Amino acid sequence: MGIAENKVIAPVSDQVSAPAPAKQHAEPVIVAKGLTVGYKLHRERKKLTALKDITLTINKGEFVCLLGPSGCGKTTFINAISGLVQPWEGTIEVNGKAVTGPGPDRAMVFQDYALMPWRTVDSNIRMPFELQNLGLSKAQIDERVRKYIELVDLTGFERSYPYELSGGMKQRVGIARALATEPTILLADEPFAAIDAMTREAMQSELERFVTKTRQTVVFITHSIDEAITLGDRIVVISNRPGRIKEVLDVNLPRPRFDHDIKNLPEYTALRDHIWRLVKDEALSGAHGEE
Amino acid sequence: MSDLSVKDAVVAARKAENNARIEKTAWTWQEAWDRYGSFVVTTINLTIFFLLWELLARSGVVNKIFLPTASGMFATMWEGLTTSAPPGAVVSGSIVDHLAFTLTNLSIGLVIAIIIGVPAGLLMGGNHYVETVLSPYVWAMASLPRIALVPLFVLMLGFTMKMQITIIVLSAVFPIIINAWAGVKTTEKSLLAAARVFGANKKDLYLKVVLPYTLPFIISGIQQGIGRGLVGVVIAEIFGGSNGLGYLISRSADTFNSELMYAVLLLLAVISLSLIKITRVLEVYVAPWRQINKL
Repeated sequence: MGIAENKVIAPVSDQVSAPAPAKQHAEPVIVAKGLTVGYKLHRERKKLTALKDITLTINKGEFVCLLGPSGCGKTTFINAISGLVQPWEGTIEVNGKAVTGPGPDRAMVFQDYALMPWRTVDSNIRMPFELQNLGLSKAQIDERVRKYIELVDLTGFERSYPYELSGGMKQRVGIARALATEPTILLADEPFAAIDAMTREAMQSELERFVTKTRQTVVFITHSIDEAITLGDRIVVISNRPGRIKEVLDVNLPRPRFDHDIKNLPEYTALRDHIWRLVKDEALSGAHGEE
Repeated sequence: MSDLSVKDAVVAARKAENNARIEKTAWTWQEAWDRYGSFVVTTINLTIFFLLWELLARSGVVNKIFLPTASGMFATMWEGLTTSAPPGAVVSGSIVDHLAFTLTNLSIGLVIAIIIGVPAGLLMGGNHYVETVLSPYVWAMASLPRIALVPLFVLMLGFTMKMQITIIVLSAVFPIIINAWAGVKTTEKSLLAAARVFGANKKDLYLKVVLPYTLPFIISGIQQGIGRGLVGVVIAEIFGGSNGLGYLISRSADTFNSELMYAVLLLLAVISLSLIKITRVLEVYVAPWRQINKL
């Protein structure tokens, strides 16, 4: 299937919505140029390319969804932004500086929550403050932690351990931990993939509410087309192994999306249909792959 | 009104809301049975066991030297535990003196084993070179029957406390090393990634992720170490020397004092079970999060 022939229908103009705030003055925060990353398989003396030649600019305050089949290298891209992996070729810059490692300007939400099981809710959210010096006093940190526990509606569960919480609650702890240091960039690796459908919708709407409030730049990985359209200002469709950018689509649907019942808008359906046709081949070719 | 008091009110409301969901229910027989049933069964079970033992011993079917009466054994045990040797005695015949000796050695040995084993295991799990260099020795020593080493250490150190402690350390240290090592190796990758993303350096990763994750492994290593250490110490004492429960067993056998021998054997079983129980409690205390899916 050709890419070019479909391009025309992608951007959908919208009269109802206010213009997406990110586009008022585009200020690049994440810049990837010709980024190629992969992993070494030591025992087999092989190198595995996960992402190939990614060139992408993400602007301040933008909510970008990376969409693609399992194992296509989405996570690798987010790991490259966070500094967990280093590029093989090309460059990745955050706020004008090449990424050499993790930093307090970036925080991540994990698919499997990655909460320390021996720490309480409060202590988990406090952990980033213990690991890095953000120049906050003890009282300021207390206030911060309290504020974000309240934001994710976990008040009363401060002393609970992760194993005592439901999946949705665990991920809210994960989100609070990521937001509490008030990073400029929020990275999310399929954060709602392990959460049941009803809770997921509620949490998507909450996440939209948080980041609209904080005006953070968000890079959000998903393999759900609906989730990508529901949350993203832009959708980056990534092809199968090694991951390459297949197409970048603007989503001009009104925000907050959950108040506008966007699923019934014709633009939504058109966009969904278009993306489905884009990823169908990928999904089918990936169906017999790993994971 | 201050902002803080509003928040306190919200917290209080939340807690009240959650508490309202929890209802106290009355005891039912089923619940009481679920909770205390195994205790009742065990008590009855052991009582019947000792009664049958007593009957069998009294019936005269079995030679008294092979099987003393249970009551006689308990009487000997009580006497041995409540009386100490008179000052100046060369060799004590009382259980309590030997018990103290064995337990002192066991605790010193275990402490040394922990001090050596935990860092060694952590290093082996964390550093590929240390692992490669040490692992053949660890596996070889862990699989070698420790009894085989007793003559060597008797030769080197004589029938001394040093020899016995060496045997205990060698028995207990390897399960501790191997468990700590395995704990480090199985530390969840996503926890490490999360800590790194939030700014952890190498030291933080060790102290704030790997060590807490490994703690329950270390404790179950210590649990195995206690069992092996007890075997080690009793064997070392049976081999020679004039102190300890092992010595008491071998002496009571030599003097056909089967009541004393059975008393010491029962005591060893009780000590071993209690120490393991203590480590279980410790495990629950340091890692409640690991207990949730356990029996």
